[in-house]
Amino acid sequence: MEKILCKESFAGWLAALKGYDLYAPAFADAVWNHARIEAGTTPELDHTNTVRSVKEFAFPQREVFFRFEQTKGGAPTLTATVPDPAPTVIFGVRPCDGRAMPRNDKVFAAEFKDPYYWARRDKLTLVGLACAEPHSPNCFCQALGGAPDAEEGLDILMTDLGDRYHVKGVTGRGIEIMVRGSDAFDEARAADKKQVQERHAAARAVGQRGVNDLGKIAEAIRQRFDDALWQDMARTCIGCGICTFLCPTCHCFDINDEVICQSPCSGERVRTWDNCQFADFTMHTSGHNPRHDLGARLRQRISHKFLYFVDNHGTQQCTGCGRCISECPVGIDIVRVLDTVSQP
Amino acid sequence: MVSIEELRACAAKLLDEGKVKAVIGYRRGSAGLLAEPCVIDQPADTESLIWDPGCVHNLALYLVKDKKAQAASKTPDKRPLAVVAKGCDSRAVAVLLQENFFKREDVVVIGVSCEGTGVVDARKLAAKLKGRTASQVEFDGADGFKVTIGNTESRVPASEILADRCLECRAPSPVLNDVLFGTAVEQRELAMPFTAVKAAEAASEEERWASWEHHFDRCLRCFACRSVCPMCYCPECVVDSTSFVITAETSAEDKANRVRWCERSAGSGESALYHLTRAMHLAGRCVDCGECERVCPVNIPLRLLNTKLEMEAFEMFEYQAGRDVSQASLLSSFRDEDPNSFVR
Repeated sequence: MEKILCKESFAGWLAALKGYDLYAPAFADAVWNHARIEAGTTPELDHTNTVRSVKEFAFPQREVFFRFEQTKGGAPTLTATVPDPAPTVIFGVRPCDGRAMPRNDKVFAAEFKDPYYWARRDKLTLVGLACAEPHSPNCFCQALGGAPDAEEGLDILMTDLGDRYHVKGVTGRGIEIMVRGSDAFDEARAADKKQVQERHAAARAVGQRGVNDLGKIAEAIRQRFDDALWQDMARTCIGCGICTFLCPTCHCFDINDEVICQSPCSGERVRTWDNCQFADFTMHTSGHNPRHDLGARLRQRISHKFLYFVDNHGTQQCTGCGRCISECPVGIDIVRVLDTVSQP
Repeated sequence: MVSIEELRACAAKLLDEGKVKAVIGYRRGSAGLLAEPCVIDQPADTESLIWDPGCVHNLALYLVKDKKAQAASKTPDKRPLAVVAKGCDSRAVAVLLQENFFKREDVVVIGVSCEGTGVVDARKLAAKLKGRTASQVEFDGADGFKVTIGNTESRVPASEILADRCLECRAPSPVLNDVLFGTAVEQRELAMPFTAVKAAEAASEEERWASWEHHFDRCLRCFACRSVCPMCYCPECVVDSTSFVITAETSAEDKANRVRWCERSAGSGESALYHLTRAMHLAGRCVDCGECERVCPVNIPLRLLNTKLEMEAFEMFEYQAGRDVSQASLLSSFRDEDPNSFVR
């Protein structure tokens, strides 16, 4: 389904989405992030990319698994807390973040269908916005098989045509919210479609950073597991969690019991984001840490994305959004790391 | 002006003569405008050293990292390290010396004077360029920066894009150095100490708490602020999820009884505990290098917490962290004339 949405009609579309929680990128505290919007408002969609990715709408930083309670002498009681969110629409999703979600879906469904993830994911409609140009000098989506107009993972792809958007329904879920707001849309004419193609072609033609021999990287990593280059590249790494927390595909987590009250005992079992760059990630109870230094941790981050994930799921666990490069406090650059690893 | 050729020659000579095992300095990064820290151990590689307003990092951090690495190593290399240090960075070295973290002969301080300006705030520059991306920023020898965008060069008054810490800096030349490049500057026009914190204090207590709750709620707990801070050198932090000081002798009971002060969940309460504990532990020790605030991916104004405490240290005890290496540190000294009005 391809339609045209005049920018003045945007609010009309949103007004038709009663019962949905709506989000769009907002610039606050000098950073772009997703924020709730009310029906009747018009999102500007002039953002670069949000600092936090869309993964948190299915995989929030904190998820309560269940509540527990036990009175003295009594049996413990557990209360299920599988979330039941309202259907949620996120506008302005960049195609790199869109492509991240099918990769996260694989993780949370491959061997075990994670009920918490899917309770949120099944309610999520991702409305993408094609990039007119790379929004950061560290964009490299095309090197990973993506594109500024990639539809993979998105339910709708919008393309800015100046005074109006071209809106393409990609999945049934996307088409559903277009149908709900059908009064706001006009038919896309052949001239509109031609203009969209031109815009997409122009955006693809803008130079991005490239990755050499992507197909050979998995094997190169395997061969160089014990190479000194990991140590060398991580020499200035400070071991913070920026690269993985901001990554749209990093999904490692920790599970803890958080006691709210000691007597009577009550609390929650929670899942929180965890991070392979933290020393406690692999620390054993003995005090031994198999990934004992930052070189080993950098190797893990790269290997997971470009070797193990490829082995397990047949694709890279990276979509080239560039956040880990742009936000790294000391300039550790995943594109340069890949080039170094793949150099003979 | 700092002569980079002379600085490189100095670094090469130190390595050539075997006086240091490595030189920690800045080189051109691939991730964007800012320089990246580098560890150079071959004299020929000193050619890659640079000095420009993108040299934002406090490299004293790597002295701390090296000290820890050598302490954990079975074959420690205890030869001295050389470090390129701005005014603020040299104050960090001085605090570490005051605290006996390492000895004076363990470090060669290659001082660089920021002279009339300082380092760039990449967020301010990005806002000023309205989305265009600068490829390089250089000192212009006076009170401005040369900003290169594509093939065009423009001049921007430094005060418009300087990091806040530089606008408030009282000592732009390294007070502690073994060799100094550039002109030592005592006082300068831009010195407006504590401007930001005084402005923030104008708000009511309720407003301030609301603001900090808002910021703590946004905290990702990536711990970049802690990881980048040369003063956060504790082997184990109060917020770590596990004990890092386990030895073969630590009993199972000791491990089991470890108190978890802070949950992993990134709620505003837990994050307030983290940030306020960190601020208190930096009282009288923070040199205002501003790195915690710079690296924060969600832009939490962390400098305010630390400069508030430094303002108290200055106004009550006339103490400036790292200003005088021969002085006893604030919290380990007592003078009869110290104010004690707060003792009740």
